Amino acid sequence: MGNRFRLVAAAAAVVPLALLAACSSSSTTSSSSASSPASASSSGNTTVSETGSTLLLPLVSSWQVEYGTLFPNILITTSGTGSGTGIADAAAGTVNIGGSDAYLSPADLSQFPGLMNIPLAVAGININYNLPGVKKLNLNGTVLAQIYSGKITTWNNSAIAALNKGVSLPSTKIVPLHRADSSGSTFLTTSYMNAQDPSGWTASNVGTTVSWPSVPGATAETGSGGMVKGCAAIKGCIAYIGVSYASQVADDGLGTAALANKSGAFVLASSSTINAALATFSGKTPASGAQSLINGTDGYPIINYEYAIVKPKQASAAEATAVKNFLTWGITTGSGSKYLTPVNFVALPSNVLAIAKNLIAKISS
Amino acid sequence: MASVPAVPEGEATLSPPRRESRFRGWLRRGSFIRWLGFGGAWIPTLMLVFILVVLFTKAWPAIQINGWGFFTNSVWNTGNQYGKSITSHGITYVEGQEYGAVPQIVGTLETSLIALIIAVPVSIGAALVVVERLPRRLASLIGGFLEMLAGIPSVVIGLWGVLTFGPFIAKYIAPALTHIPIPFFQGDVGHGEGLLVSGLVLAIMVIPIVASTSRDLIRGVPLLPREGAVALGMSDAECARKVTLPWVGAGLIGAVVLGLARAIGETIAVAMVCGVAIGQIATNLYAAMITIAANIVQNLDTVITDQLGVRTYAELALVLMVITLATNVVARLMVKRVSGTALPVGRGL
Repeated sequence: MGNRFRLVAAAAAVVPLALLAACSSSSTTSSSSASSPASASSSGNTTVSETGSTLLLPLVSSWQVEYGTLFPNILITTSGTGSGTGIADAAAGTVNIGGSDAYLSPADLSQFPGLMNIPLAVAGININYNLPGVKKLNLNGTVLAQIYSGKITTWNNSAIAALNKGVSLPSTKIVPLHRADSSGSTFLTTSYMNAQDPSGWTASNVGTTVSWPSVPGATAETGSGGMVKGCAAIKGCIAYIGVSYASQVADDGLGTAALANKSGAFVLASSSTINAALATFSGKTPASGAQSLINGTDGYPIINYEYAIVKPKQASAAEATAVKNFLTWGITTGSGSKYLTPVNFVALPSNVLAIAKNLIAKISS
Repeated sequence: MASVPAVPEGEATLSPPRRESRFRGWLRRGSFIRWLGFGGAWIPTLMLVFILVVLFTKAWPAIQINGWGFFTNSVWNTGNQYGKSITSHGITYVEGQEYGAVPQIVGTLETSLIALIIAVPVSIGAALVVVERLPRRLASLIGGFLEMLAGIPSVVIGLWGVLTFGPFIAKYIAPALTHIPIPFFQGDVGHGEGLLVSGLVLAIMVIPIVASTSRDLIRGVPLLPREGAVALGMSDAECARKVTLPWVGAGLIGAVVLGLARAIGETIAVAMVCGVAIGQIATNLYAAMITIAANIVQNLDTVITDQLGVRTYAELALVLMVITLATNVVARLMVKRVSGTALPVGRGL
């Protein structure tokens, strides 16, 4: 729900903004600052539009604010609509940048040749739960798969207890929450369950939209924000929520589970554990940037590159320049701790940063 | 002023009337109105045909690949997007896709049925009271509110449903309903997203349509037969049941179908409160479920880059359209049948 509400709010906010921008451009065209490289466009103002992943949204929103003050004649618009929409809209050319938690599939690429996934930062997914009093909880992919398939229905189930020696677990019923919209978080979480337990969670149930097994009481929420609010309202719930919502999750009193990685160690997401997991994958990242970072032997097991899905050919030279500048700024200045720490993301490792820069250089008009 | 060609004074009255432009003549002769009417009459027809044809041609490969399983299976799987590609029936798509629309078709019919069960008695009762019992001013006030209710955007009702109404039902109403000794009424009452709340939200959207249509119908019933009924000593209830309602019978069916069509096609409000459980048929009144329209709006973007997926959603849209059209046709047949015998004129009450 949160997502749709945000969309309405965003529309309500953007329309007057756009009008304002149009007015100011007509009155101050001649005086508009030349500080931006994209000031070549006739009106002096260029809009760079982004839509997609709600996990990426908090970062892009903070970029938007900062970039707007640095380059007043570049208008960045952003909205959280889910990764699926991000990819689809960027491919169709209705937005400049599609935000996605998942890299492009071969099918996407065969249908939209040249479409690029440019890594922006490294994010992760937390497994959160609403059990007041339980401060520490260990989970692994197998148990998670059984919870989401309805095979484990109460929190004091022996399989959960086996992972949590010494923790007193209540007999509360487990209410699994999943995303209602097409979501990169769903893709990453189901990928983790499948990687840890290929028979318990089959590959056919990995994706941005999943036919969730029937579990009594299970509910769906729209957007990462919807997951936070939904889980806060339901005792005994379990939800998968992007690390960028960790502060809201903490404010609402939800717990965060430590997850088993490939070597069986239980790990919480933090910049050091994300970096540790990243170390095993970053070297393997191909020039296209498409690399799964799920279930590493070290560090936190559900991490991913956040991607900007961009068409190499933009509608105008001004837009191409503006998109290039914005993305370059995002992976350099915008990847400073000032921006990444609040959303619990980690900056790209140097070799992946080079890959991203190469991809950005391919954008033209 | 300067643009008007100067005509020498004095000559103006003598010069022959200016030739009428072809356009004005065309207008005056009524061709314009004729063409407007012609277009107006054909455009809706052509649009219906156009939409059906486009949906069908889009969906055709999916219809062939999904086969009858689309109407008998419950599995809805968009496949492994990083899996191998398959080419058949002229389209390329990733492996592992499987589409069975039974839960969505059942869900669409179930929610609409719940909506009608609640909305029809309420609406007709409200219409009767507004026309026959309330003072004129109060009646027009309530009538105005009914029409305003019809004008509330469905997304607003959906928002209210998911934030306030759903949790309220789950907390206070659903637990009471579980005491009814019918298996379908028993089970986990959930958290305000599911079949019951979807049906109730739809009922709220259907009530103003059915109520305001039937109010207008009932208002059209002449006073004479009603007075006659009262003169015979009938109570208000008997009068309504034996005179007023039979008089408007055919129209009432039309009103109910208008409401049903709204319920079947309603998208966003249901998508917000149904629980989006793709591939699940509700096992009890409170379980999360899915309707055709809700699935299309929530998950089309997942498959938009896959040729089979997007065509399957076209097939789903086609099914939704056929259900709606079929409802309309059935309603028309019923109206025809009822309208022959319903009028109480000339037959004993």
